[in-house]
Amino acid sequence: MAAWDLSVTVEDLGPDAPPVTLSVASDLHVGGVILKLVEKTQIKRDWSDHALWWEQKQMWLLRTAWTLEKYGIHADARLHFMPQHKPVRLALPSGITLRLRACFSSPVFQTVMGICRMLISRPCLYNGMPAHFADSPEMEAIYKMLSVTQPPPAPEVIAKQYRPASVVDKAHIHGRWLDSSRCLMQQGIQENDRVWLRFKYYAFYDIDPKYDVVRLTQLYEQARWALLLEDIDCTEEEMMLFGALQYHINKVSQSEPQMLSTSAAMDDLESALQSLEVKMEGESSSASEMLENMTAPELNDYLKIFRPKRLTLKGYKQYWFKFQDTSICYFKSKEESIGEPIQQINLKGCEVAPDVNVAAQKFLIRLLIPAPEGMNEVYLRCENEQQYAQWMAACRLGSKGKTLADSSFQSEIQSIRSFLAMQKTSSGSHGNVPADESINTHSLVSPRYHKKYKPKQLTPRILDAYQNVAQLSLTDAVMRFLQIWQALPDFGLSYVVVRFKGSRKDEVLGIAPNRLIRIDLGVGDVVKTWRYNNMKQWNVNWDIQQVAIEFEGNVNIAFSCVTANCKIVHEFIGGYIFMSTRSREKSDTLNEELFHKLTGGHEAL
Amino acid sequence: MFEVYTAAQLWLCYMMDDIDAMFSDLLGEMDLLTQWLPFLSSLGQETVPPAPLPSTKQEPNFSIGFTDLNVGTQFNMLACSYLLISTQHKAPLRLMGMSLVWQSPSTSWKTMTWMRSWPDLVADLNATEEKLAAEIQGLKVPAPPPSDLPPPPTGLSAWPASSLASPASPASSTGSSVSTPASSAASPLPPPPPQSVKPTMEEIEAQMKADKIKLALEKLKEAKVKKLVVKVLLNDGSSKTLMVDERQSVREVLDQLFEKTHCDCNVDWSLCETNPELQLERTFEDHENLVEPLLAWMRDSENKVHFKERSEKNEVFKNPQNFYLWKKDKKTLKDIKDRDKELLIQENFGGTSIIVPDLEAVLYLKEDGKKSWKQRLFQLRASGIYYVPKGKTKSSRDLLCFVQFDNVNVYYGKDFKSKYKAPTDFCFVLKHPQIQKESQYIKYLCCDDAWTMNLWVTGIRIAKYGVSLYENYKTAEKKAAVSSVWTNRSTPSSSNPSTPSPTIKAKAPSQANGHAPTPQPGPASKVQLQTRLWKCPTSSSAPTIGRDPSPTTSRPGPPTSATSHLHWPPRQDLRPPSDTCRPTSLHLCLQWTTSLPRLAAPSPNDEDPPDFLPPPPPAMGFGSLPPPPPAMGSLPPPPPPASFGGMDQSLPPPPPDPGFLPPPPPQPVFTGAGAPPPPPPPPPPGPSAAPVAAKVRPAGSVRKIPPATPKRTTPSLHGGGGGGGGDLMSELMLAMNKKRGNH
Repeated sequence: MAAWDLSVTVEDLGPDAPPVTLSVASDLHVGGVILKLVEKTQIKRDWSDHALWWEQKQMWLLRTAWTLEKYGIHADARLHFMPQHKPVRLALPSGITLRLRACFSSPVFQTVMGICRMLISRPCLYNGMPAHFADSPEMEAIYKMLSVTQPPPAPEVIAKQYRPASVVDKAHIHGRWLDSSRCLMQQGIQENDRVWLRFKYYAFYDIDPKYDVVRLTQLYEQARWALLLEDIDCTEEEMMLFGALQYHINKVSQSEPQMLSTSAAMDDLESALQSLEVKMEGESSSASEMLENMTAPELNDYLKIFRPKRLTLKGYKQYWFKFQDTSICYFKSKEESIGEPIQQINLKGCEVAPDVNVAAQKFLIRLLIPAPEGMNEVYLRCENEQQYAQWMAACRLGSKGKTLADSSFQSEIQSIRSFLAMQKTSSGSHGNVPADESINTHSLVSPRYHKKYKPKQLTPRILDAYQNVAQLSLTDAVMRFLQIWQALPDFGLSYVVVRFKGSRKDEVLGIAPNRLIRIDLGVGDVVKTWRYNNMKQWNVNWDIQQVAIEFEGNVNIAFSCVTANCKIVHEFIGGYIFMSTRSREKSDTLNEELFHKLTGGHEAL
Repeated sequence: MFEVYTAAQLWLCYMMDDIDAMFSDLLGEMDLLTQWLPFLSSLGQETVPPAPLPSTKQEPNFSIGFTDLNVGTQFNMLACSYLLISTQHKAPLRLMGMSLVWQSPSTSWKTMTWMRSWPDLVADLNATEEKLAAEIQGLKVPAPPPSDLPPPPTGLSAWPASSLASPASPASSTGSSVSTPASSAASPLPPPPPQSVKPTMEEIEAQMKADKIKLALEKLKEAKVKKLVVKVLLNDGSSKTLMVDERQSVREVLDQLFEKTHCDCNVDWSLCETNPELQLERTFEDHENLVEPLLAWMRDSENKVHFKERSEKNEVFKNPQNFYLWKKDKKTLKDIKDRDKELLIQENFGGTSIIVPDLEAVLYLKEDGKKSWKQRLFQLRASGIYYVPKGKTKSSRDLLCFVQFDNVNVYYGKDFKSKYKAPTDFCFVLKHPQIQKESQYIKYLCCDDAWTMNLWVTGIRIAKYGVSLYENYKTAEKKAAVSSVWTNRSTPSSSNPSTPSPTIKAKAPSQANGHAPTPQPGPASKVQLQTRLWKCPTSSSAPTIGRDPSPTTSRPGPPTSATSHLHWPPRQDLRPPSDTCRPTSLHLCLQWTTSLPRLAAPSPNDEDPPDFLPPPPPAMGFGSLPPPPPAMGSLPPPPPPASFGGMDQSLPPPPPDPGFLPPPPPQPVFTGAGAPPPPPPPPPPGPSAAPVAAKVRPAGSVRKIPPATPKRTTPSLHGGGGGGGGDLMSELMLAMNKKRGNH
């Protein structure tokens, strides 16, 4: 067989080095080519990771037993000899960027699985990259890093980040998902490129907080950023709650660095003790009073009260106040506090709101006390921060039907004080504060609210929402965050701008874990919804880039994709259907073949 | 005689210094003992006519009187010593009542129950106080000094154990309130055997101290438990009255009502509160505690609790598509496959997060303080109801929060068109549960049609209660399935030729629900009363069993059959419906017979039923009780009560032969109404069980033969009471076996 010249660029010789020319015959197999090449370069090193990349055909020559003829390689082929694993910068949902060596030669799906197995300990579906970590200490460090939530970003950072302003913007982002059935090299990813690793499918399979720490953390980070960057819309009230949860998660993760460190037994014991305390408390007999005194802190002081309902002038009257069980009693003076109180206000079920201005030294507690006739408004005026924090905490507990004996009383006081501190600092010099105690509340909400509220206006609102989550453990708080996120109407929607068959305007296709929705681009209204479980089949015409779907009841739709390759849509639909098959049978192994079949498109066939 | 001591008294004796404190605490303590109430109150309902029973020698003033109103009932019975129960209905039972049960020291047990509306109670308290105080004085004399309580340890420990049993197993017991009285009634235990003073005095004292502390803690816990007597209106206008303690969920109360009403137990049965003043109605969720919302009612409230079928309650689980796919056309929704329904439920209730139906509609909102209704575009989200402000888009960021659900409940409005000039009658309301009158804090919304209204109310409930709704539904479904199985099983058996049950069954519902206006004299209810009273103080599962006719019916039977009775699955259904307890003797007869086939049906050993055929007068067993009333003569002649009669007259009620007693083990089965219909028989009786049982407290009724209860083992046995009903039950079972063995 005639010999001919084959030129191969060897990366290791440097970018400017001329290609190495080998004399080969068509029946030479790829392994032989590599052997010759290595001999010729006279470099002694481990070449085992290296492989040939055929530039024109955009493919790896990984089958070393195949001959050049079988591959169809001729003299005009431009081949590159390079390692299959190259460094990339992997941006994780938490914002951390890892530099790691990723496999550029296997399908993205597999490389992502590899990386997930390493990083997250359980495989899940990502769009991202593979990696190799050499030694376990490093791995461990990274694991730790990934399992810890990041502190809230500075508001400036949020403001600087790219925020999708419209559905179309979001659609463009979703158009950038990598094809999971092709390798990185084929998709134009270069060495040292920055690649994002994100949760792509919003059907979270079988999350177990015990084993999925990294996954949960990263999921939280992705959700948090989606909210901060207004990638997913929510209402103001919801944003305040998300803010409060972020604040709480940050606070708890600093004090409780190990996630899930609470053992169930400890929890049980604690709750048992707590319930014992509560139960013992509030008894009128002498013995139980003794017990009560041992467990429940006392709270009584001179406060000023104002009831706007009585159409008097806005006058605050001073009384001796005493906190009992879930009630507030007040007396004319301390000396008369043994007798009958002037009034007893049961706080159970009431609404408690702060009305505080630290700078003006205004510490008001606004109570809305439910009564058969409606809600009675009562204001309590405290003299200073200390007093306010205590009474506010007590009122909050009382409103939940808890007494001061409740174990959360002290922590409640603490959190109220730290919020007061936040208000103080944020109203004063900006950014000049010790980072530990205070967080700029702008770090917790999306930029829209930066414009709408000053940090000190946000503080009481976030504190308000914080009341309901302050008792949560770190894991519970993260879970709650995810739950609320999942309960948002727009949750799990990936957008693609499409043109429906027979329609003249662009519309948006929203792809959710259980359905497809057609959205009017102009108004943003949902026009139509199709659920996967009614889907009979879907087809992709790769030539004209059109997706056709048939639903039960003779419903047929077809659309072409504008902002994304239809492979992406195909992969989404196939992926979600794959997930739905997965959640029914509880097998732990990922049926890779099925996934590939459902998402691979024509290459899979 | 110290054996009748109960922990409650001891507590009283050493904790109280002055009468006032004593009285106030007494109220608490007495409340504990009102666990008698379920049966007392049901007695009240049954409106049994006053009918003096021939009294025993010891108690000449023995009498029963029951009418709905203003009839004092006094009942004196012999327990180990005397038992005196006086029941007074001074006022018509309204929604709540308060009851006191008080035990007097040493020899006699006195229970007084007042059930009346709050104002009356308050008015009467002073008078009562004096009376009580006087009695307490008497009580104090025999009471041992607080420092070294010499109460029988059994009594001491049994008390916490039994009171523990109910809180410990609230989930497991569907009728925990029923079981509670039982356990407390069991407290008067056999006296400690005098010979068993083997442990040193120090040890005993230490043990007693520990017991005291334990007791104190238990008391503290228990004393705080609020209980209400609740009158529940049924569909036919009649009512049932039951006592509910604050730990009981609506589910448990429903189960009790299932027992009482013998309805089909389907998932639609609900408890609803109505507020006539605001014209509101709300279905309680099964997981809610019933007492708390009722406490929000005002004293003079016209509010009512109804027991009825509300299909809306679980509609979302039967037809999830109507809520989650509400935008689709009606035909698609109707044709949806079961598989898809399941999937919808899974998607929305089975995941990590509960998904609230994505509702959006133009609703009418009643403007504050005005009569006008304004249209707004509302959206439901998990976090609350929002509306779209004028000129804004529907995007989340522009929504304004209308209400969040933490502090409000959702109610259906009735007839708002005329009351508030609403555009339609399909209105719902959001308000704090404590608001009972018109107020600016109530939010009124009006929908175009009933469909929309249900959509919204259900959506709000999902947002508010989340996965609890689904769990409630699953529980209700199980319950319904079990009871339907049971119905199927029991129906054929009731065709037993010997039983005229069908007729009586047909009659039952109409007569069922207490407060029958014209009580007629008759022996039947009297007899039943006796059964109950007799049992309560003596047997450990008293109240439940008290309603169970089986023991009495079995009495005439030969001993062997009595033993086999113990196997009978005691189900709630076994209890003759209190409804059937009619004053005529004929009815009496019917009552007993009706229960027979049911009893027999699930029984593994069916050889017995024949024994029952001549229904014996229920009163038979209690020697202390009056002989069967004359009316009995027309009944199939009961076997002469010969052997028991004599003994019982001189002795407290417990019949001499324990084998005939109602088996204690039924209780768990009874309460666990959700259990499969034929509960397995308790371990077979036999001598083998006897040695084991030696350590165990014998079934409460055997006063006559005080068991060798070593002082120290008993407390330790009961000390574990916190472990839940299971221990107590197995104990009871052992005790029973022991008895059978002895027998």
